[in-house]
Amino acid sequence: MEEAELVQRLGAYAAARMPQAQDVAVTEIARITGGASRQTYRFTLVWTEGGEARRRGLILRRDPADSLIDTERRVEFEAYRAFHGGEVPVPEMLWLEEGEEALGSPFFVAAEIAGFQAGTGPLWTAPYQESLPALGRRKWTILGQIARADPTALGLVAVLPATRAEDVWLRELDHWEGVLDADETEPLPVIRAAIRWLRANPPPPAQKVAVVHGDYRTGNFLYDTQGGIHGVLDWEMCHLGDPLEDLGWSFNPVWYFGQGKPGGLLPRDEAVAAWEAASGLTAAPDALKWWELFACVKGQAIWVSSARTWLDGANRDPILVYPAWALIDAQDRAALKVMGHL
Amino acid sequence: MTPAVSQVLADLAGRVARNAAPNVPAADRAGELGLSALLLGLAAEMWDGAAEILVQENTDLRALLAAGAKVWGEESRRRWLEALAQGRDESLRLSALQSANGELKVALIALHAELERRDDPAAKALESQVWRALVAASDRRRLSGSPV
Repeated sequence: MEEAELVQRLGAYAAARMPQAQDVAVTEIARITGGASRQTYRFTLVWTEGGEARRRGLILRRDPADSLIDTERRVEFEAYRAFHGGEVPVPEMLWLEEGEEALGSPFFVAAEIAGFQAGTGPLWTAPYQESLPALGRRKWTILGQIARADPTALGLVAVLPATRAEDVWLRELDHWEGVLDADETEPLPVIRAAIRWLRANPPPPAQKVAVVHGDYRTGNFLYDTQGGIHGVLDWEMCHLGDPLEDLGWSFNPVWYFGQGKPGGLLPRDEAVAAWEAASGLTAAPDALKWWELFACVKGQAIWVSSARTWLDGANRDPILVYPAWALIDAQDRAALKVMGHL
Repeated sequence: MTPAVSQVLADLAGRVARNAAPNVPAADRAGELGLSALLLGLAAEMWDGAAEILVQENTDLRALLAAGAKVWGEESRRRWLEALAQGRDESLRLSALQSANGELKVALIALHAELERRDDPAAKALESQVWRALVAASDRRRLSGSPV
């Protein structure tokens, strides 16, 4: 869809959702690059209400023809909505549209949280470099708060598939091995060995069935120069599961960004301590190791799916090639490292 | 290297040409060309050594499968490994090398799983060799900007 058509159709959609408003229009629309599973745009909505001119910065997240991660946009929308206004900072959700009539594919619109960084590029340079330890502590504290949250009280048990504490590992492993089986473009000896090890050495039951963000890592939150975090993003893989899954994913060595520590931010023991303090849970080393290796399997499944999506031709966005080329070997190396072979 | 470098370069050529049009929104153009440049950089790094990496890896895999054929008692499996171990990379086209690499890795995965199941010293020694070969293969494929 051409940008002019998108502006016109989005404006018409917003006008229909705002019966109290007149002269509703979309301005200053710009694509935010980097998302491989959703097309993300920043725009300003302008309108007149009660004779007064108004404007608001908003975000549009629209499904592409074929995305990196197959997810329900309702899951993402409801996860944001559940946490909004609480201790876990997230943007406010406004509208969810699951049909294709309005913009050609499902989408949601959220309030923009402006003035902060999300990309990892600036992190290891001034003025951000000074506050990396504070940012790291904040990062794993928020992850602990997500783990501590009660999914029933948040209303998420109505949206997310139920699971049992003793089964979560198997459900997740089955799912991601299934993704590998379906999408693998070349045999993966390291990851297949990792899967055999995971099946032969199951983790203990989850301490609780918690909300799992599913992609909690440096790069998926909005941060400032003082070590503050103002919005946790990318909830599309949110599910109920073992809270150690998120901690293990955050420790995936591919998210060290060459800085030698988790997330490129904080020594591992300090990250675990911040998470344990905020969650009230324990990160038992053996259980955490299982989830770290699982993170390598899940990561590889996502990178492989990215290659498959591109090869199938429905979506030839170059961002789909990047993980396939840059991360598949890195993810193998991460798995070798977690298994003690590297 | 999947998708194949040649396929990706062909796609990028079309993408760059489309972005040369004057009516492409600036943010879209910046995003597309930035990503394209990133991929071109990766392609440049991978391209020169790609055939050598695959030839070396295939040679190592054939040696492991030959060793595996000696310790795997089951007849059909032994013959399978022997046949693969006797193969040669006749063509140096990346597609041919990649195809052979895929076949060899399927067999390696089966051999690796068999070795894990067994406790005898010969199997355990070969399992250690498999791990060393997997690490070596990963070292060879490692890109300069690899996070791990």
